[in-house]
Amino acid sequence: MSNQRSVRTRRGAYVALLALMVLAPMAVAGYKLYALDYPLAGLIPAPSYTVEVNMQVDGHGEDIRIQTYLPKTDARQSVDNEESSTGVFVSSIHSDSLNREVSWNAENVAGQQSLRYAYSVRAHHVRYEIPEGIPIPESYSPALAPFLADEPGIHRDDPQIARALDSIVPAENRTVLDVLTRIHRHLQDNIANRNFSGYTDSLTALKLGEASCNGKSRLFVAMARKLNIPARLIGGFVMEQGSKRTSHQWVEVYVNGHWVPFDTINDHFAEIPANYLTLYYGDQALFKHTANVNFQYMFKTSKQLVPQRDAQDALSQSALNITNLYAHFERVGISQNLLKILLMLPLGALVTVVFRNVVGLETFGTFLPALIAAAARETGLLWGIVGFLGIVLVSAVIRRGLDWMQLLHSPKMAIVLTTVVIVMMATTVGGVQLGLFELAHVTLFPIAILAITAERVALMEAEQGAMKVARITLMTLVVIAACYAVMDSIFMQSLVLAFPELLLVVVALNLWLGKWIGIRVMEFMRFRRLILESAK
Amino acid sequence: MMGLRAWWSRLEEVRERAGKVLSMNKRNLHYIYTRNQRKHFPLADDKLLAKEVLGKAGVSMPRTHRIYSYFYELRTLESDLSAYEDFVIKPAQGSGGNGIIVIVGRQGDDWVGISGKIYTAFDLRKHISDIIFGIYSFDLGDRAIIESRIVQHAEMSELSPLGLADVRVIMCDERPVMSMTRVPTKQSDGKANLHQGALGIAIDIASGVTTDARFLGQPVEKHPDTGIALLGRTLPYWSEVIELAERAAQAVPLKYLGVDISISPDGPLLLEINVRPGLEIQNVNGRGMLPVLEEITANGEVRDEE
Repeated sequence: MSNQRSVRTRRGAYVALLALMVLAPMAVAGYKLYALDYPLAGLIPAPSYTVEVNMQVDGHGEDIRIQTYLPKTDARQSVDNEESSTGVFVSSIHSDSLNREVSWNAENVAGQQSLRYAYSVRAHHVRYEIPEGIPIPESYSPALAPFLADEPGIHRDDPQIARALDSIVPAENRTVLDVLTRIHRHLQDNIANRNFSGYTDSLTALKLGEASCNGKSRLFVAMARKLNIPARLIGGFVMEQGSKRTSHQWVEVYVNGHWVPFDTINDHFAEIPANYLTLYYGDQALFKHTANVNFQYMFKTSKQLVPQRDAQDALSQSALNITNLYAHFERVGISQNLLKILLMLPLGALVTVVFRNVVGLETFGTFLPALIAAAARETGLLWGIVGFLGIVLVSAVIRRGLDWMQLLHSPKMAIVLTTVVIVMMATTVGGVQLGLFELAHVTLFPIAILAITAERVALMEAEQGAMKVARITLMTLVVIAACYAVMDSIFMQSLVLAFPELLLVVVALNLWLGKWIGIRVMEFMRFRRLILESAK
Repeated sequence: MMGLRAWWSRLEEVRERAGKVLSMNKRNLHYIYTRNQRKHFPLADDKLLAKEVLGKAGVSMPRTHRIYSYFYELRTLESDLSAYEDFVIKPAQGSGGNGIIVIVGRQGDDWVGISGKIYTAFDLRKHISDIIFGIYSFDLGDRAIIESRIVQHAEMSELSPLGLADVRVIMCDERPVMSMTRVPTKQSDGKANLHQGALGIAIDIASGVTTDARFLGQPVEKHPDTGIALLGRTLPYWSEVIELAERAAQAVPLKYLGVDISISPDGPLLLEINVRPGLEIQNVNGRGMLPVLEEITANGEVRDEE
């Protein structure tokens, strides 16, 4: 009977602990979210683009001048990490309220010269709701006069524009929303998209019934201005992974005090996607340069996910904030990076547990895959795996050789470890020599991990043979990759950094898995005859 | 065309069948952890300790001729061993059959191993030194056991001419659950290990009759090397085998066990006990062992409440 009571007590303790591990972190996280206003959306990593503009000219002894526009940080896009290498050119930047124009000047340029300008951009998707029923205003403040005027290429006052408008918009009861919708639809649906790289003015676009982005945009602006709605051209660039020369133009229309974007090439009505980079306002050429210098340019864009630093900074303002907590670690020289690895280890261990107890893969040790995945942060997954395989191979081969000489266990292990250290150092030297810098970071594999791996491999090879080691190595690799995917996820990192109490939920999951008695996937395969074959 | 109803009933059937298989997680959590306390594991891991405890309880085992714990004891090795015609040398804490030498006779001053290999006195002294050093136990220091060699019962030799067959009985709460015999083959290189290619033959616990056989995961009816029929044989001394397994299970505080037994012409002898017996025995028997286990433990609970 006392046995039964102890069983009941233990089960009660288990349930209570499980409940605590779920409810306590939920309560703390809930308090942070609702009472302290933690910005949850700020935890989701945002795409960031690195844009690199490479330019090239051929000089024949003349003075060369190149002008272009650099992006500005505004409410929608933020630009930082600007860097340039301009070679023989001297830069000067001229900013006004809208544009940042850079000019690069060099005297007596001979031969091929190149310039590079790079920056990283994070931008938001923006969408406007234009209220129904707003009539087109009679007049605007004088500051908007330039955005209503006729100008070269934008034939606001040409009768053909007026005639075209007559067939697009109704004569009576014009509202802003209605006329913009009609103009947008007309340009999107009735004027074909063409991939011209040249200049098209508004009348040409109208007459041909087809145009590229600049022709459509000029026609849009001309029509809007004709209807007494201020409008302007925007020059920019659609950020997509890869290299290209194509820039882009779209328009902004002044509605109710806001400049509202429209793009009739890609059908964005009153909205602009997060990968549009604004470079300049007005009907400008993106590049201006001295003639006959064989000017070439190329945009190269790469995309990566980055934590939203402003959101994380905002956290430091609230009570119970995490940055203060982490400051303690920084005071003793433990960087947030190392801390992140530490915080992600429990997640890696959880992934390993799932693979071992639910899937049924065998791995070298319970924590080894998570540790290797953490170590692989420095090298990247591929070289991390190469490094891991290297350790396994070297350990197994050395162990074989030493076994043949019949040595005692501990000194043998010490020799295995020493050899592994030497091989890792040689790998680093070799990596640097060959320019494989990721590989060179293999030395950063923490030595404790090397030691555990080497010993486990050597032991297992002795006890269960090389085939078994090969099989478990393969399964361990699968689990390492899974751990890496979880531990390297910026979302997971941001989440755990902001809500370290979630580690208790990891404990709760392990508590649950610790009582999970189902058949592992691999066992299902092993006993498939017993399970699947009918008794018929 | 298989209708939805047929799929459903098939799914139910699979669930029911899967519910009869003892899985690794369930074995560990419900049988090993609850019945075998870790502090008692040395009883299974250290063969000398096991021999002491089981011997006291009257469990028959191969006779221990000698134990070597220190190097100085090896000075008299040659004359010590000359007293025995045949014997087995094994490490007390070895695993997986490593470090075991079986001697079947003498040839002049030398000894002959079971595979025909010749061992000089120097070879044997070296081997025993290695055992004492801990070469086979991943630990500093072990003891070497010299014990009598088991000769198989003639009927077992017919079934298993390539080496010693062992009978594995799974015991839960001192009652037999499932059993099989493991028969070495050419493929397994004389080892009685299923994963290395030994033959697994299921034995009906009540009658001692062989009912099923598996070789490399496939059902077979004949020995892959000798071609003799494997099924429908009754193992000799079967009731004594089960009795021995029960006595061993009663003698130790470990209540979920694999008991390994060999059958000699004079009756069964216990080889060793295992605290983490494998699950492959279910495949050999062609059925899961959970129904039997649950019956045993359910009865146990009833007894508890009386």
